[in-house]
Amino acid sequence: MTHLQRSRALRLLCTLGAVASLVVVLFPVYAVVVASFETTLTLLGNTYYFVPHGATLANYQVVLQAQAGHLLTSLIVGVGTAVLALVVAVPAGYALAKYPLRATVVLVSALLVAQIVPSIVIATSLFKVFHWIHLLNSYPGLILADGTYAIPFAILVLRAFFFSLPNEVMQAARVDGATEWQTFSRIVVPLGRSAVITVMVFAFLNGWGDFIFALTVLNGTTVEPITLAIYTYLGNFSQDWGAVMASVVFAIVPAAVMLVVAQRYIASGLTAGSVVG
Amino acid sequence: MAGVRAAAGVGADAAIARQNDELAPGARTGRGRLAAGRRRQVAGWLFLAPAILYLLFAFALPIAYNVMLSFEQSSPETIASFTAPFAGLANYRFILTDPTTQSAIIHTFEFTAGSLIGQFIIGFALALLFSLRFPGRTIGRSLIIVPWLVPLLVTGVIFKFLFQLEGGAVNQILLDIGLAQHPIDWLETPQLGLLTILIANIWLGVPFFFLLLYSGLQDIPIEVKEAAVMDGAGPWQRLRLVVVPIILPVIEVTVLLGFVFTVKVFDLVVALTDGGPANATQLITTWSYNLSFQQFIFGEGAALNNVLLVLALICAPVYLWLSRDSLRRSTGAGR
Repeated sequence: MTHLQRSRALRLLCTLGAVASLVVVLFPVYAVVVASFETTLTLLGNTYYFVPHGATLANYQVVLQAQAGHLLTSLIVGVGTAVLALVVAVPAGYALAKYPLRATVVLVSALLVAQIVPSIVIATSLFKVFHWIHLLNSYPGLILADGTYAIPFAILVLRAFFFSLPNEVMQAARVDGATEWQTFSRIVVPLGRSAVITVMVFAFLNGWGDFIFALTVLNGTTVEPITLAIYTYLGNFSQDWGAVMASVVFAIVPAAVMLVVAQRYIASGLTAGSVVG
Repeated sequence: MAGVRAAAGVGADAAIARQNDELAPGARTGRGRLAAGRRRQVAGWLFLAPAILYLLFAFALPIAYNVMLSFEQSSPETIASFTAPFAGLANYRFILTDPTTQSAIIHTFEFTAGSLIGQFIIGFALALLFSLRFPGRTIGRSLIIVPWLVPLLVTGVIFKFLFQLEGGAVNQILLDIGLAQHPIDWLETPQLGLLTILIANIWLGVPFFFLLLYSGLQDIPIEVKEAAVMDGAGPWQRLRLVVVPIILPVIEVTVLLGFVFTVKVFDLVVALTDGGPANATQLITTWSYNLSFQQFIFGEGAALNNVLLVLALICAPVYLWLSRDSLRRSTGAGR
């Protein structure tokens, strides 16, 4: 074999390996989409069909009737979590990067450690605390709880980003007579757009995908996001896989949209938060 | 990498900060400079205020209250009240003697170790594969992170569907290729239940390992790789002697964060097996939930929570040490 042939064969081998691993990685998602179009009868049978076996939209009809409200709830929670994360994290990330405060080391250490705290620990206490201050079964309560996923990470990512802003930018604003707040809101935040979007995307997905706080600080009557609704539905109608899978499709949609729209933010956020953080 | 940039940044930041003070309006007099400095201190604290309040409310308060709860004698009657009678060490005695709690702790160790090994091997192999040049690598790379974007509860539901006894895709594949003679009851067989949640967790964690290790591999200078090839090092030698030592810091952070994520896993197990069959897949998290929210013994649940918290926080010093460059940068900047 010539050198050229060998490298061409190698490249083909790589592509085949990549395709094979992607088939395994993506199969579960593929299976969900296929199942969401199958009839209940097919899904209850003893055979699994790898390709669609008689398509129907019945599952989606069931889901749109039963779950539309829960999807809206999840949307509100996701947006709420993103807004909370921005309000808390953007100024904090800026201050920790650009202001010489004595507490910086302590606070950054606290944020690193906060990322480690398991949610069940927080959930157990917040259930009792929320009971006491009447925040159970409410949007504000759930959003405050969901912020625990997003906020420490958000502050650290934003801090890492704001480090890279040259100090001259802020000096110029100050020389022009801008107050600290004006410098922050008119100069720093617009320049930090990409980091701010990264944080928003992550916080939204955290709020949208949360289950543990929905399970603990809600009782599923007034406020019920889609994750909790799917869990409850599966518990009540464990054989109705078609409807469950159609709900799952809806629960994955925002993530899929994000993947397409905000791909580079997702990848950069994931690595920034862990390596620099 | 980040650390090098940080170290270089410290001196420059300090110089700029000095210059900055001199340029500020009113900086010519000593008093003016002092006032400007103080104003900036106040502004900095105001920017931090929401975050500090949030951390106190959502982290410090729950952790402190959890410690308090763990010394209380709670029962279904005390759910509504903020405090309950003092229990001494009774809840911790329960944690040490209760067989289900013991097995939940053991399952957590098995599950965490198995997940980390599986996620690391697969994630690293994929990172190496996608570091090579071949057609379709860009699109493939972005598709690999799909599992990571699926909500954890939903992942559990999907795997419950795939691992069904009758009509499940996994059993269908095993029957079709002749690895099984009859369908396997994955979710109702104790040992297989744990294996199933392990497989599901590896699936959802691989993208994270892949992305971090992949970006670490991209930071290896091309000259280093070329030099290794020139010296006649084979692929395995290059991996062991060149690649791994260089990206070791990235591997450390990745495994550490993987550990932190894995001891927290809850949603996946609740959706997939709900701790069953016969508590064979109870982890610390799910069993703690069961104690507090299903048996309403919050004191025992809180005591188990503290065991979990200590377990997770074991890696806090290591994490802080690995992040030391980023921490040090904050003290240096602007002084």
